Amino acid sequence: MRANGCRAVFFIMAFSDTRVGFARPHIRYARILFLALASLLVLFLTLPLVALVVRALPLGLDAWLNETTLAALQLSLTTATLSALIAFGVGTPVAYLLARENFRGKAVVDTLIDLPMVLPPAVAGIALLMAFGRRGILGATFSAFGIELPFTTAAVVIAETFVAAPFYVRSAKAGFGAVDRRLEQMSALLGVSDWKTFWRVTLPLAAPSVVSGLLMTWARALGEFGATIMFAGNFPGRTQTMPLAIYSGLEANLDSALALSLILVIVSFGVLLAIRQVSPKGLTLG
Amino acid sequence: MLSLAIHKQLDAFALDLRLEAPTKKIIVLFGASGAGKSLTLAAIAGFMTPDAGRIAIDERVLLDVARGVNLAPQARKIGMVRQDLALFPHLSAADNIAYGMTGARAAKMTRVRELLQLVRLAEFGARKPSELSGGQQQRIALARALAIEPALLLLDEPFSALDLGTRMELRRELKDLQRRLQQSMIFVTHDLGEAALLADEMAVLDQGRVLQFATPNAILRAPRNVRVAQIVGVKNILPAQVIHSNRVRIGARELETLATTFAPGAKVFACIRSERVLLVRRESPTRTHPNEMAGELLDEESDGNDVTLRFRVEGARLQPRENFDLQIDMPVYVYERLQLARERQWRISLKPNVLHLVSA
Repeated sequence: MRANGCRAVFFIMAFSDTRVGFARPHIRYARILFLALASLLVLFLTLPLVALVVRALPLGLDAWLNETTLAALQLSLTTATLSALIAFGVGTPVAYLLARENFRGKAVVDTLIDLPMVLPPAVAGIALLMAFGRRGILGATFSAFGIELPFTTAAVVIAETFVAAPFYVRSAKAGFGAVDRRLEQMSALLGVSDWKTFWRVTLPLAAPSVVSGLLMTWARALGEFGATIMFAGNFPGRTQTMPLAIYSGLEANLDSALALSLILVIVSFGVLLAIRQVSPKGLTLG
Repeated sequence: MLSLAIHKQLDAFALDLRLEAPTKKIIVLFGASGAGKSLTLAAIAGFMTPDAGRIAIDERVLLDVARGVNLAPQARKIGMVRQDLALFPHLSAADNIAYGMTGARAAKMTRVRELLQLVRLAEFGARKPSELSGGQQQRIALARALAIEPALLLLDEPFSALDLGTRMELRRELKDLQRRLQQSMIFVTHDLGEAALLADEMAVLDQGRVLQFATPNAILRAPRNVRVAQIVGVKNILPAQVIHSNRVRIGARELETLATTFAPGAKVFACIRSERVLLVRRESPTRTHPNEMAGELLDEESDGNDVTLRFRVEGARLQPRENFDLQIDMPVYVYERLQLARERQWRISLKPNVLHLVSA
């Protein structure tokens, strides 16, 4: 019996792996274990998404097109796009300087800029309130000029930018760092100013990293929840972005929450695909 | 006149370069890597600011540290072609050439076409650098540098990464182009053959200084000192002592030289280029040659083109402490014609003008 069992195992192995034959059986067991664990994780990641799709797809038009959903969608798209644009505007010089120049405290600046990526969004929300809130450091000054930031659409953009801009800076920095400085020197020697050199040489050559950084930032801003709800509140039409609408919908209107969730899944998936397209190395977060 | 005085102190290296060279010529900076060649180019281009010095092309002063003049690279009108990363990889060949041009679009296009023709790549304007061979890329880089009509063109080992055939071809083309355009050029290389081929005049650089500046011929024939002799590949550099104006003692042997200015008793070095030593058959009719001595061929090695022979002199030795006395180079085919593989005993003659004396 025992000998037969052994022979059967060897028989299977001889057919399943023609390269190794049945020289080292233990390698096969390790592989089976790895495959099993890997399948478990893939299943675990897929199941909730499948469940979401299964529940959301049969929903009536009303779930997708009601006022709350559309308002949240519009607000999210607007604020996320604004955040990405702001990140590009002020993040680009930061990324360039971090990639190109050496200065005192560079490591500190570098770390500070990465910090919001690991900071719990709730902490970001509190911090923003302490800075720009009514009783915040700058809040009083802003009030004097009649500017009230918290619980406005502007606050949504600020919260999203705070949390998402580091993704852009990080990616763009890697992109600028990879552009050979000697190409910029050559441009200068050909009589082209530093400013034009940036637009004609540096930025085009760093474009894949810049674009994928912008996409990452936009996607992260689109999904921002914690900092937004604390700093901007949850007012439909004004500060209620898609994630906030999903949260509210959990109690008030589950169908609408499901619809928004599916939209976010599709958009996120699309962004990841787009990043793969622009940067051959996939995500450049390191 | 091209006038360079560049002083720069780095951590472990000091550049202290002085050079007055004619314009409208190819001036070669020759030296090993680390001699300061590329740093010199960086200073001329304005990528590096010297601690002290002055750089001028004819009347135009690019840098004068004492007077606070330091033109930006953009204002220097310097063209540059370097070994690697020659072109902007995201632009077509034509756009690369047009990159530094100013003026109306139509005029630019005409000029780009002319330059493409000049470097014999008229059909290649639309190609991206990655679609061009190494030699073609360097040609486009040359055209791009010429497009701004530079007062001076810097070439930093532009052909080093190319295969031998392309390298030879581009050297010839560059020389031809220089003659036609009367373009002032500084060409940097560590390849002696390339230096000798291209240079109207060449500067031998070592440890940040110009050791000698003259025509390649003059430097090869009469290196100024031992270091220059080493750098330009003189294989026989023998310690010697002057006896009187045209006699010198090398090792245990006295030899005749051309009249020298060294005082009797002066310790010098005798530089003997290995390809200028004369070999005479032992059995040939006994006409005496100058500085003749009997010698035995010890060993030989070949790089495929030339053979290097090591000879030991019989009787009074030139280098009593070494195994051999002289190295002699000759083409493989001469080596075979003379049947040196079989015939080991020879007479060696050193004409007086072959012995070049330098101070220690």
